[in-house]
Amino acid sequence: MFPDVRLSRRPLHFIFLCDCSGSMRAGGKMPSLNQAIRQSLPEMVQVSLQNPEAQILVRVLRFADQALWHLGTPTPVDQVLPQWRDLEAGGLTAMGDAFRELAAVLRTPPMEQRALPPVLVLISDGAPTDDVSEGLRTLMAEPWAAKAVRLAIAIGHDADLEVLQQFIGSEPGAGGERGSAGQGLDGDRRPGTPAERPGRRPLQANDSITLARYIQWASTAVLGAASQPRSQVGGAAPDTNVPLPDLPPTVLDPSDASQVVW
Amino acid sequence: MPSLLPEGATLRCTGSGSAIRVVRCLGGGGQGQVFEVAFAGEAMAVKWYYPSCLRRDPQLRDRLAACISATAPNAAFLWPILLLEPDEESRGRLSMTEGSFGYLMKLRPPQFQPAVAHIAGRLSISLQQILRACFHLAEAFHALHSKGLCYKDISLGNLFLDPANGAILICDNDNVDVDGSDLGAVRGTAGFMAPEVLLGQSRPGSSSDLFSLAVLLFRLLTRHDPFLGRLELAIRCLDEPARRRLYGEDPVFIFAADDARNRPDPAAHPAPLLTWPIYPPSLRALFEQTLAAGARDPAGRAFTGQWLQALSACLDQRGLCPHCGQEVFPEPGQRSRCWACGAELPRFARFLTPEGAVLAQPGNALHHHHFDRLAGERLDQPIGRVEAHPRRAGVFGLTNLSAHTWQAELSSGERVPIPPGRSCSLDALARLHTHLGSVALAT
Repeated sequence: MFPDVRLSRRPLHFIFLCDCSGSMRAGGKMPSLNQAIRQSLPEMVQVSLQNPEAQILVRVLRFADQALWHLGTPTPVDQVLPQWRDLEAGGLTAMGDAFRELAAVLRTPPMEQRALPPVLVLISDGAPTDDVSEGLRTLMAEPWAAKAVRLAIAIGHDADLEVLQQFIGSEPGAGGERGSAGQGLDGDRRPGTPAERPGRRPLQANDSITLARYIQWASTAVLGAASQPRSQVGGAAPDTNVPLPDLPPTVLDPSDASQVVW
Repeated sequence: MPSLLPEGATLRCTGSGSAIRVVRCLGGGGQGQVFEVAFAGEAMAVKWYYPSCLRRDPQLRDRLAACISATAPNAAFLWPILLLEPDEESRGRLSMTEGSFGYLMKLRPPQFQPAVAHIAGRLSISLQQILRACFHLAEAFHALHSKGLCYKDISLGNLFLDPANGAILICDNDNVDVDGSDLGAVRGTAGFMAPEVLLGQSRPGSSSDLFSLAVLLFRLLTRHDPFLGRLELAIRCLDEPARRRLYGEDPVFIFAADDARNRPDPAAHPAPLLTWPIYPPSLRALFEQTLAAGARDPAGRAFTGQWLQALSACLDQRGLCPHCGQEVFPEPGQRSRCWACGAELPRFARFLTPEGAVLAQPGNALHHHHFDRLAGERLDQPIGRVEAHPRRAGVFGLTNLSAHTWQAELSSGERVPIPPGRSCSLDALARLHTHLGSVALAT
């Protein structure tokens, strides 16, 4: 028989940063976010099965009046769903505190000496109410934060896209205006506009289906890309430390009444 | 998952008589999604591309059409059968963008498991079946290259295997191209790509395929990446720039004879240290040739034919350790120890054929190429195999799998016929006259 040998693996930290401010109560945003995360968990397990060399560990940080770990222990992806508790909304938007809290766990130690690039997914529907610049500076001073795949999802039109963009890092070409957030995504792109990799700007989710789609993309395709290299297309080598995969195009059914518009 | 083709939808395509009914989405990859469909009363599979993929790879349609008309090199490929371009009515009804297309192929039979399941240690598989899977992989590339085609983007994700018999299935054949024609945008997957392709110095083709094949074979046989050794330990964040260094700028094979910088670390990389010594030196030499020297010299890589010879010879050398029962591959004429329990191995009885020697051990088989040097190595039509007696424990015989009656010379001097399907006990056998030639049993 083939010997039972231990596989060499590296940890991959996947961290959701969830805005749980009072405004998330409105328009069913909080239940939609809970639902979107819960639904992606089984798919994350599939990604983990397809990428045995990555040991995927999940955490959830919530921020309202202050940042608190909702799931603070780095948890193997297949053990998240059985212990999942829904996030609850109420309070302010202490995003700066969340960045400081995140910086503390990305420091070595507790962060491992060797790992795969962490994946950090920030989801917010409003403007920070604390000193976000200082928090972001603290975060980005951590090498693991700088190496991380950082994605931001803006829920509704009140999200602070500028802060979300600062979290992701400078956008390519630097020609983008605030209103163009979420464009350049495959399937969403206006004809004639240049192709751009998704995820380099905040993803704009104005309804529950789009939110679920972005969470799903981040927790499956992006997680997979950070776990192990994907097939490369095109003449040039990728210019980022983790080339982001395409976002599957949406198939929206306008007659579907379950789509809550915020 | 947002689906490109809604479940239950009916799709009519130009150039195909029957409509396609979408049954369910089977999964998505980097290029598109795969669906189970009903086509002309049969369950089939369809791959449908993301519009973004078609924009980045404008020659995909032409390449796919060429691939379909070339037909599958052998049965190991889950080959595209029909290009599917929706007619105007279907496109409008399903709000598809213009130029949207996919292709039809067979469904992957359920016994084929993803090769990553083996890498992850989730499959129970024998060394014999893994070696057979490796043989079939080299055979598939041999057939592909013989047709003047190249694969370009092989990785573990494209490979499936049947743990019961080592049969393989290669999926995602849409990057296959005429060697040298360069009708594609794909470069490959880091970790499997040849260094010169990863660095952008050349386009993928049959010679970079030979490198990728060796990587894949190494990973199947050792459950480890051939370039992850001590050099990896110096890398904190394993991302694209780090991989470019490990696999492109300074690729050092972990078992390179002339460069010990990247040896496996006993704590971090236990798998290759245990598995590599299992295999015969002749097989290990081909990895050395292709992954060490061949990393810098594309012309020096082992050819598919060399892999077929080395892998079939390795299968012929397979024995079972009498102490622990594990599969071992002792070198003929040398004293060896079992890699698993350390016990000294006996001199196994061997079948001596006109063109080879096969250990007379359960599961080992005689093939045409053991009798005819020009026959070419094949595993799919064994003429005889060592099998256990159906009732008497510990008794083994050579079973005649051919359609011809053989004559056995027993050690008593007696001659007995062995009709098709019957077996002759190894304890009594001295020599065998098959329809292809004589076989002596040397004990």
